Amino acid sequence: MLEIEDLVTTYGAVRALDELSMWTRDANLTAVLGANGAGKTTLLRTISGLQTPVSGRVRFDGVDITGLPADRIVRMGLAHVPENGGVITELTVEENLRLGGLWRRDKAARAAKLREVYDLFPPLAQRERAQASTLSGGERQMLAIGRALMSDPQMLLLDEPSLGLAPAITVRIMRILRDLRDRDGLTVLLVEQNARSALSVADRGYVLALGRVVAVEEADDLLADDRLRHAYLGF
Amino acid sequence: MDKLLTLTLGGLTSGAVYAALGLSLVIIFRATRVVNFAQPALALISAYVAFSVNKATGGYWLGFAAALLTGALLGALTERLIMRRLADRGHLAPVIVTLGLLMVLQAVAGMIWSAEPRSFPYAFDFRGTFSPAAGFAVAVVLVVAAGVLVLFKATPLGLRMRAAAFRPDVAGLLGVRVGLMLTIGWTLAAAVGALAGLLAVPPFIYPTALDSVFVHALAAAVIGGLDNPVGTIAGGFALGVGLSFVSGYVGPELVTMAALAILVAVLVVRPHGLFGHAVARRV
Repeated sequence: MLEIEDLVTTYGAVRALDELSMWTRDANLTAVLGANGAGKTTLLRTISGLQTPVSGRVRFDGVDITGLPADRIVRMGLAHVPENGGVITELTVEENLRLGGLWRRDKAARAAKLREVYDLFPPLAQRERAQASTLSGGERQMLAIGRALMSDPQMLLLDEPSLGLAPAITVRIMRILRDLRDRDGLTVLLVEQNARSALSVADRGYVLALGRVVAVEEADDLLADDRLRHAYLGF
Repeated sequence: MDKLLTLTLGGLTSGAVYAALGLSLVIIFRATRVVNFAQPALALISAYVAFSVNKATGGYWLGFAAALLTGALLGALTERLIMRRLADRGHLAPVIVTLGLLMVLQAVAGMIWSAEPRSFPYAFDFRGTFSPAAGFAVAVVLVVAAGVLVLFKATPLGLRMRAAAFRPDVAGLLGVRVGLMLTIGWTLAAAVGALAGLLAVPPFIYPTALDSVFVHALAAAVIGGLDNPVGTIAGGFALGVGLSFVSGYVGPELVTMAALAILVAVLVVRPHGLFGHAVARRV
């Protein structure tokens, strides 16, 4: 679904992505692991059009999307849940959700999707009129994921959904991602520092260091590889 | 008692103008965090276009429509051709550029229409204390303000515009065309500003006709909170009535000083405006 070829993104003199290549299987959950500064967030931002790469290619569903603006890429079915969720705290829960699907013309499909998201995340349904600033960390992450689902994406990019969440909530979020893959056939690219919980649901995993891929294996093999785990994943 | 009534009604009329011009500042400030000092000049050019159309056709309303269209167009062009290029230059550069634009446009207006005061009609014949023209000014501003609020709060376009203003990066990820929202914001703001100009200019138009009105409108917007449309409308009317009292009971020469004194007092006590709430500055 997603093919990345020799991607280079720089901040001034720093090469945040250094000729990085990767691909994902359809209806699969691919984890991207690595320490702080490995280039994980930059990778997602470059895929979704928030950052323009210096060179390299990003192909989504066979179409070259390199350098397209973010608002066009999401309309092609590739949704990005940014770091910390990017919930707009000045808006209500429902306004945040509606915003996610507003570009779709089909009103009935939008309404159906909204009910679907409320079913998936009951805490959001209870607080639909509440200001998003009043939500807990876990509820905000649910809102961010639900809002991305409003665009009915083929593929979801998630940037550290477990950041700052209690372990029980992290487990719940990971289960929801697994269900979305198994039930709806959603393709997921999951960036995590919390390698253990990401690999508990992932099919494949990439390990990044300094903007390069240092390892790519099936999730079970990554978990079994003690050397790699100690060197890069910290557990 | 009669004097009090007269001063109140007169104050409401000029307050309507401050409210409308203040609202045009708020729309742009909410979207871009820029105070548009060029707003009076955009409104001035629009009013001059109305003046020319009035002269050519002899009617008022064709000029009225032409002015709103001109305002909208000037707003869109300002955003597309100038402001967009300054987006990543910090907060000060765009503000300075709008100041420069103010001077350039006022000079251009003087070159085209001359610096001489020319007579400019009211929407309706001006007679008595609370004339039809005054009633029209108050009514049209209230209707426009209500329209802007409904647009922001209750329409999909308004939701997109708010999202683009609060979190442009996130809005983009959700499929909102942020640049287009900015253009629409400037277009709308400049059209509202043109309306304020049409109400403020009579009986005479000249290149600096809107300067003092703009100072009052800016005061109204700051009093109400620069990102608060309702507060600014209220601030505009309150300032209009307050200054009318100052003019009537103390002396007309003190009006501008009083406006600035109120502005300073509000900024000292409530830096985010009487109706605004403190927002942490993004670093």
